[in-house]
Amino acid sequence: MNLVRLALRNLKRRPLRTFLSVLGIGLAVGSALVLTALSRSIQDSTREGIHEIGGDLIVMQKGASGIFGGFIPEATVARIGAIPGVVRVSGALVVFAPSGVANNVLTFGWPDASDLWKMVPLVEGRVPAAGERRAAVLGDTAAASLGRKLNDEFDLFGERFRVVGITGYAAIVNRSLILVPLLDLQEASYRPDQVTIAHVSVRNAGDRTELARIRDEIEAVGNVVATTANEVLDHDRNFTILEAASLAVAIFAAALSALNVLTTLVLATQERARDIGIFAAIGWSTGRIMQSIVIEGMLICAIGCGVGVLLSILAAYGFPRIPTIGNLISFKPSAGLIVPVIGAAVMLCILGALLPAWRAVRMLPAEALRRM
Amino acid sequence: MIEAIDRGASLIALRGVSRIHDGGAIAALRNVDLQIREGDCVAIVGASGSGKSSLINILCGMDYPTSGHVIWQGRAIRRKKEWVQLRRLRIGIVFQEFNLVPTLTALENVELALLGRGMSAKHRYTRAGMVLGHVGLDHRPHHLVTRLSGGERQRVAIARAIVSEPKLLLADEPTGNLDSASAAKIADLLFDLREMTGMTLVLVTHDDTLAARCARQIRLRDGTVVEDTLRGLISATIASRSKT
Repeated sequence: MNLVRLALRNLKRRPLRTFLSVLGIGLAVGSALVLTALSRSIQDSTREGIHEIGGDLIVMQKGASGIFGGFIPEATVARIGAIPGVVRVSGALVVFAPSGVANNVLTFGWPDASDLWKMVPLVEGRVPAAGERRAAVLGDTAAASLGRKLNDEFDLFGERFRVVGITGYAAIVNRSLILVPLLDLQEASYRPDQVTIAHVSVRNAGDRTELARIRDEIEAVGNVVATTANEVLDHDRNFTILEAASLAVAIFAAALSALNVLTTLVLATQERARDIGIFAAIGWSTGRIMQSIVIEGMLICAIGCGVGVLLSILAAYGFPRIPTIGNLISFKPSAGLIVPVIGAAVMLCILGALLPAWRAVRMLPAEALRRM
Repeated sequence: MIEAIDRGASLIALRGVSRIHDGGAIAALRNVDLQIREGDCVAIVGASGSGKSSLINILCGMDYPTSGHVIWQGRAIRRKKEWVQLRRLRIGIVFQEFNLVPTLTALENVELALLGRGMSAKHRYTRAGMVLGHVGLDHRPHHLVTRLSGGERQRVAIARAIVSEPKLLLADEPTGNLDSASAAKIADLLFDLREMTGMTLVLVTHDDTLAARCARQIRLRDGTVVEDTLRGLISATIASRSKT
């Protein structure tokens, strides 16, 4: 007999309550994991997508809320191209474009002469020829969700576009992309002569001093900010809000698990007041009685955390199967995410278990034994 | 005789102990003075509500006096920690309601009293099994206590109380919940154990026959000691000496 076995017996004594408590903690931990993983995954996959498209620096309008939020005149892009050390620059108009079938498809408009077209990993068809209008290249996921294949037509901003190519990007964000000629997208979205970002390739990207110089020179052009692909989301207010919201929900979920343990253990200690009186009567110290209650709480918490991790893994597998959003984002709860979430849940559970434990040892043993 | 009485060292004593409940509305004990010596066998008798259980609770620190002191081997016990240590090592308690942990087996219930004493699990197991044997339960150590008869449960409770080899065994109506046959066996067991170990036995009972088996009887009424056969014995002895 030891305290762990004693706690296990107590949990088995009330199987339904134990099951519900474990489920409650599992759902809270699972939600915290899924939300945090989702938030991180959106950022990681967006960064990955930006890297995959190409360019060493991304230029955005200064003070823009994100890559969709600001606008840069095409003339500015041309001036950036003239900066010494800049090898290539390509403006891009990035918008969520309404489509007849699936609302709001992530759409990039690139100039005909952009080098980015050359880096598109095609699996079928081709990229639009110079001067070709209303031609689109669809990411494989976008093609599947729109139900379109090569040479099919579809609506974008109410205009008819024809599918001339299908891409095979690796990043999940890019797989849902639609690529169209810049001119078409500018006309359709009423943004003539404007882009939202510019992809800049430099000669010595590995040379940090050189990169910093080029960044300074780009920013000196006026009203723009240049960042690396990794940093670009740090300036994105949408992602900052998303991250903050995910963190808040994760904290809330962890607090819910602690509350669950607290409720369970308060009820358990009330029900077991007599047992606690017995322990005191046979000479158990205050510390030992508290330890036995906290161990019981920790066991519920540990099982609940296990269930939570399992639920989050199941959700990660199930998420891609959800229509529309499943095509856009995916997530995987990594060890780097599980450890801090579980750490926080365990800390809160310990705190949640200490209160009923403290209440229990404050009772006089004689009084505890009188309780039923 | 007086010498014999005086020779016994005081094990536990109450000095002016009162226990008041509900802000003075109920006085469970009023200014009780009492001394119990090592090896004594004492029966505490009295009507329901006379303060017997309150006295037992105060004697083992499960409740605290509102005023007065409890003295263990000449030293006043005031701190909770001291009481915990006494209950762990020196005082065993047997209750009318058995007070066993229902999710555990007979052996595990006895083992509980040995937890936290620095004994290995194997040693605890062996010791608990051995003591269960002393109380005649060596054939059912792994049965859940909920599956045992009343008499068997009380045997488990006695085993748990004596497993630490206490100096003082307090038994609060130990036969109160048993049929007469089981009650007689439990009573025999308690007196036999006392005989074997020499421990002090304080027994709360309604049963006059059981009380009569103790050398000393203390009668309580409305929270005060109205009769203590030890005092009577001393007075009688002093009176007979004076005459001679």
